[in-house]
Amino acid sequence: MNAADFAAFLSELRSVAGADWVWSGEADMFPYRDSFSPVWNTQQERHASAAVAPADVEQVSQIVRIARRRRVPLYPISTGKNFGYGGPSPNVNGSVVIDLKRMNRVLEVNEPRAFALVEPGVSYFDLYRHIQDNGLKLMIDCPDPGWGSPIGNALERGIGYTMPYFRDHFGAHCGMEVVLPDGEVMRTGMGALPGAETWQEYPYGFGPDPSGLFAQGNFGIVTKMGFRLLPLPEHYRTGMITVPRRRDFVKLVEHVNYLSDSGLIGEVEYGSPLSALMSNPEFAALTTKRGGPSDAEMDAAASAAGLHSWQVELQILGPEAATLANWNFAKDRILLDIPGARAIAGEHFPLPATSEQLHHVEQPYRSRIKRHRSLGVPSLGEWQIVRDDGHVGFFPVMPRTGEAVFEAQRVLGDAMKEFPSLPAFFNALTTPLMWHTHTFQMVFAPSIKHDDAEHNAVTHAAMKKCVAVAAEHGWGDYRAAPIYQDDVANTYSFNNHILRRFHEQLKDSIDPDGIIAPGRGGIWPRRFRT
Amino acid sequence: MRTILALASIAAFTGAVWAQAVDPTDRPQIVRADHPGQVIFERQCAPCHGSGPGVNGAAMLPGTAALAARYQGARPAELELRDDLTSAALRLFVRRGVGEMPAFRKSELTDSEIDAMAEYIAATADLNSQSAR
Repeated sequence: MNAADFAAFLSELRSVAGADWVWSGEADMFPYRDSFSPVWNTQQERHASAAVAPADVEQVSQIVRIARRRRVPLYPISTGKNFGYGGPSPNVNGSVVIDLKRMNRVLEVNEPRAFALVEPGVSYFDLYRHIQDNGLKLMIDCPDPGWGSPIGNALERGIGYTMPYFRDHFGAHCGMEVVLPDGEVMRTGMGALPGAETWQEYPYGFGPDPSGLFAQGNFGIVTKMGFRLLPLPEHYRTGMITVPRRRDFVKLVEHVNYLSDSGLIGEVEYGSPLSALMSNPEFAALTTKRGGPSDAEMDAAASAAGLHSWQVELQILGPEAATLANWNFAKDRILLDIPGARAIAGEHFPLPATSEQLHHVEQPYRSRIKRHRSLGVPSLGEWQIVRDDGHVGFFPVMPRTGEAVFEAQRVLGDAMKEFPSLPAFFNALTTPLMWHTHTFQMVFAPSIKHDDAEHNAVTHAAMKKCVAVAAEHGWGDYRAAPIYQDDVANTYSFNNHILRRFHEQLKDSIDPDGIIAPGRGGIWPRRFRT
Repeated sequence: MRTILALASIAAFTGAVWAQAVDPTDRPQIVRADHPGQVIFERQCAPCHGSGPGVNGAAMLPGTAALAARYQGARPAELELRDDLTSAALRLFVRRGVGEMPAFRKSELTDSEIDAMAEYIAATADLNSQSAR
C-alpha cells in the first residue's frame, strides 16, 4: 500500500471512529509495541502501522469492511495487556490494531443466575468493581494482573486461581458475539436464537459450536462474551500437607487430583520445604546436576536437614462446615496412605475477606498462596515478579502425575544447560502449576532487557529450544507470543499437520482476503502462505 | 553464587514469595485532594503506585517499591507525594513506559486524563506538604 492509499485508509477509519480515535506515527504507536519482546529493537520485532479504537460493534463491523476492501490486516486487542505473550503487538508488520479498549461496558451481571456479559475493553478491575458497587454476592476468577480483559484473557486461554471449572477462563465462557471477516455479526450458542434468555447459560445452541475457533485464532473479532461466575462462597479455609520422601510426590499428586476432580478443593500450591536449602551451594548443585539427582541423594539431603521433601497447600471454598469436613477428609486420606505425612491447618474465615485476611496477617505458616488472586480480588501486586524490563513465558502442558514432573525436571533442566546465563528454572525442586483443571504446567519465563541485545538473544534461543525439546516429550506450549506462534503450532503436527491444514482451509474460506490477524495461532491465510 | 541468585529469581516468578504478616495499615497516610483526577489516578495508577501495602507480604506495591529503590529517600516513593510531576513529565512516563512499566495507549488513558492526574497529584502533594509543616 502506498502512502496516499494508506492516508485514504486512515481517513476512512476516522470517518467511522472519529478523528480522536485513529492513530499512526511513532509517538502514538509506541505503546502498541510489545515492551516484553525479546526481539525488541531488532529486525524481527513486529510493528503495527496504525490503530483505531471503535466505540461499538457497528463501528467494528464498518472497520472490518473497509479493511477487507483495502486488504489491510487488522490485529484486534482488548485491553492490550497480554504481556509475556506479545502484548498489543501484531503478528504481521504494518497491521492496523483494532483497539477495543473503548468498548468497556459491563452489559449484565446476574447474581441469581451467576453470569456476566461484558465487552472486550472491560478489565478484571472493572468487573470486580461493578460487582462490589452493586453488592452482588459473586466471585470472579482473575489472572495475576487485574488490568487484563476477561474476554482477551479467555481468548488467550488464560487461567485463574479459584475453583477448577472457573480457572479455565475460556472453558468458563458461555456465549459470544463475533464480527466475522466480512463484517457480519454472529452470536454463538443460544445467542443465535432470537428471544432466547439463556445465552450465558447454555453454550451450545444447536449444531456445531464454532466458539473454539475464536480462541488463539483469527476467524473474527469477539465483541461480547458471557462468563459463568462463582456464587460468593461463605467460607475459605487453607491447610498444608507435607510428605517426607522424594518419591512420595507421586502419591501426593494422585490424592490431590482426586480431591480436585471431586470438587472438594480449589487451586493448590505445590512446593518443597527443601527450597530453604538452596542457599547452600552444594545442595543447589545437587538439584541442578545433569541427569538429575537420585531419589536417595535427595532423601539423604532432606533427612540431614530434618525437612520433608514436598508440600502442598490446599484451598477450600464453601460453607464453613463443608470446608472443615473437606479439610479433614483430605488430611485423613493422605496421612493414612503416605507414611510420615504431616498436616497443618492454615487460616479460615468467612468471605468476603478483610484487608488483613487478604494480606495473610494471621497465616500460621509461610505460605506460597497469593491470597488476592485465590479469592478473585484483582490487583497489580503480582507485577513484583517482573524482572528487568519484562519476560516471555513458556508453560508446557504435561500430565498431572509425579512421574511427569520428575521427567520434566530432568529433561528441560538438562536442555537449558546450554544457556548457563539464565536462571535454572527446571531443577529437582521445580513443582508443577495446577492452573488448568486436568493438567500440570511448569514455568519458564526468562527476562528481557531493552538495552541488552545479547541477553535477549539468549532468552529468544532458549525459548525456541524449550518449545522444541518439550514437544519431543509430548509437552506442548499452551500460549505464545506472535514471534513463537509458528514454532508452537508446528509442534502440533499429528498426521502431517492436519490440524493446521484444517485451520488454513477454514481461514481461506471464512477470510479469503486474510485480514483478521494473519498468522495468529500459526494460521496463515493463502496470500501470506504463497 | 550465580545459581543461588538465579534460583531466587525463579522463586520470585513462581510464587515462592512467602506470605508474611504485614500490617496493611502500616503505610503513609495520604490526605487526598478533592479533584477529578483522583478517580483516574485510583483506577489507572494506584494499583501499582498506590500507598497501600503490596500483596503476599510485600510492604509496598510494585511501582512504589521500584521508586523507593530508585530514589533511596531522595524523593517520595508514592506518586501522590511528588511535587515535580508536571503534565509533560507524566505524559512522558505514561506514553513511553519505563523499566518493567509498559507504555499506556491513548485508548486507555487520554492526554486530558493524564493532565487531570497531574493536577490531582500536584494538589495532593501540596496538601500533604502543608499538613507536614
